[in-house]
Amino acid sequence: MKKAIGDNMIPKEWGFEKGLRLVKQAGFDGIELWLGDVPWFQLSTADAQVRELRHKVEDAGLVVSNVSTGLHWASPLSARDPTVRARAMRIVERQIETAVLLGSDAILVVAGLVTEEVPYNEVYQRCVDALASLGETATRAGVRIGCENCNAEHRFLISPREFWQFLNDVKSPAVGIHLDVGNIHDTGFAEQWIEIHGPRITRIHLKDVMKHRGRCGDQSVYTNLFLGDNNWPAIRAALTKVGYDGWLVAEMEARYRYAPDQQFYDTAQAMDRLVSGRL
Amino acid sequence: MAISRRRFVGCVAGSLTAGLSLDLRRPVDAGPRRVLLDLGEHCGLRESVAGYESALAGLGTGVTSRCTLLIVPAALDIPPPAVGAIMSCLRTGATVLLESGAGFATARDFRAHRAVLRDRLGVHIEAPVRLWSRRGARGVPYVDYRWPSTAKIRDFSRVVPLGRQSEGEGEIIAWVDGLPVALKRRLGRGDLIFLGSPLGPALWAGDAEARRWFGEFVVGRRCAPTSVARDGR
Repeated sequence: MKKAIGDNMIPKEWGFEKGLRLVKQAGFDGIELWLGDVPWFQLSTADAQVRELRHKVEDAGLVVSNVSTGLHWASPLSARDPTVRARAMRIVERQIETAVLLGSDAILVVAGLVTEEVPYNEVYQRCVDALASLGETATRAGVRIGCENCNAEHRFLISPREFWQFLNDVKSPAVGIHLDVGNIHDTGFAEQWIEIHGPRITRIHLKDVMKHRGRCGDQSVYTNLFLGDNNWPAIRAALTKVGYDGWLVAEMEARYRYAPDQQFYDTAQAMDRLVSGRL
Repeated sequence: MAISRRRFVGCVAGSLTAGLSLDLRRPVDAGPRRVLLDLGEHCGLRESVAGYESALAGLGTGVTSRCTLLIVPAALDIPPPAVGAIMSCLRTGATVLLESGAGFATARDFRAHRAVLRDRLGVHIEAPVRLWSRRGARGVPYVDYRWPSTAKIRDFSRVVPLGRQSEGEGEIIAWVDGLPVALKRRLGRGDLIFLGSPLGPALWAGDAEARRWFGEFVVGRRCAPTSVARDGR
């Protein structure tokens, strides 16, 4: 397995190049690029500029693990407004295009947002239709779409079997799950999600979760690896069982009040321990 | 509008050909009984077409009578051939279900939509209303249908409310949040049903109450199997 971390973790005042040097020095193999979430990689970033980003990544001795985005929180594929939906589709298409330019074969998509206004059944159907279509685009590009399990945040596809059925309904081998082991909270167990989805897992986001905090308080439920309630030995065993040998991508909250670069080193070392099984 | 591709659901063939409006003046026994008119680029919500198509298919083919039903999902600007088809149907005694798709339309499309409804069909509408920004957290603004049966169906965020109609020009059949959003009126020898809150997406998403209401509406129209006509461009 290879280790990556998101470029949205890089302190904004550092800039991309300095951030890449840190990522490399900390011991990561790759970097996850977040379309629309960092100043250097926007929807308006031209192809030539995207190629330049790739050169910078490679010059730093890294590769791009995958292309993610948080833009779908504001422009979900499940929106009722056709204009918003068209924008959401365009975001995914641009992710696919840039993944190819960046030499990656995976993107992360937040597939739908259930709200008081837009009910579950509509979101489900709209996302199935959208992803079936986008799956064809992804197939042509040689890219896999990983729908992230955002569970409580998008109030959608809460259980692993539900997610499994959703992927069955999409019926595209190019559409799988970008599994976040920290997003399951107290509604299940990450290792069971790994077992159920196995080969459908496109990438894995790593963070730990403090399940006892729930979602109602004013403190984050997320924390650094090994500080929370995830059963890491069980997660590691499940990864072995299903033969997952792909990217592990750290997705933490930037919680270090001082020396923010230290979080990169600590995270990389924790991931080494996870990969080696010394738990 | 050139309607150039036909697809039939059910067993009765339609008679739509390129560049022509529906011709339902011939004996209805030989023509389509339920026709779904897909306005193509003039349809504001593709899922609405899919919703009606699915719901009609689910109703089966068992009911027959001499009545004809034309369904126009999620209409934006309604091009003249489609208006011609609607008027032709109404003249011959058919029922036309015209669903507005203008809730999310651009200002330009909405103006065109309103003008056609007013000038050709005598239906007066107001600018779209965003239901959820009106209501805050007070609850779900269900659309309350009172005809042909009572039903409470989820809103679709934006509605096109009816304005003041001419005296005696129809009956309001649904309300949401105090706004009249559906109308039934006699036109020619037929009936025009105007929906200002899209029903098709609820049918498409499998909303049981929407399907029940629609089923009762269709059965009430006593129509035979369905033809689907699409803009093939």
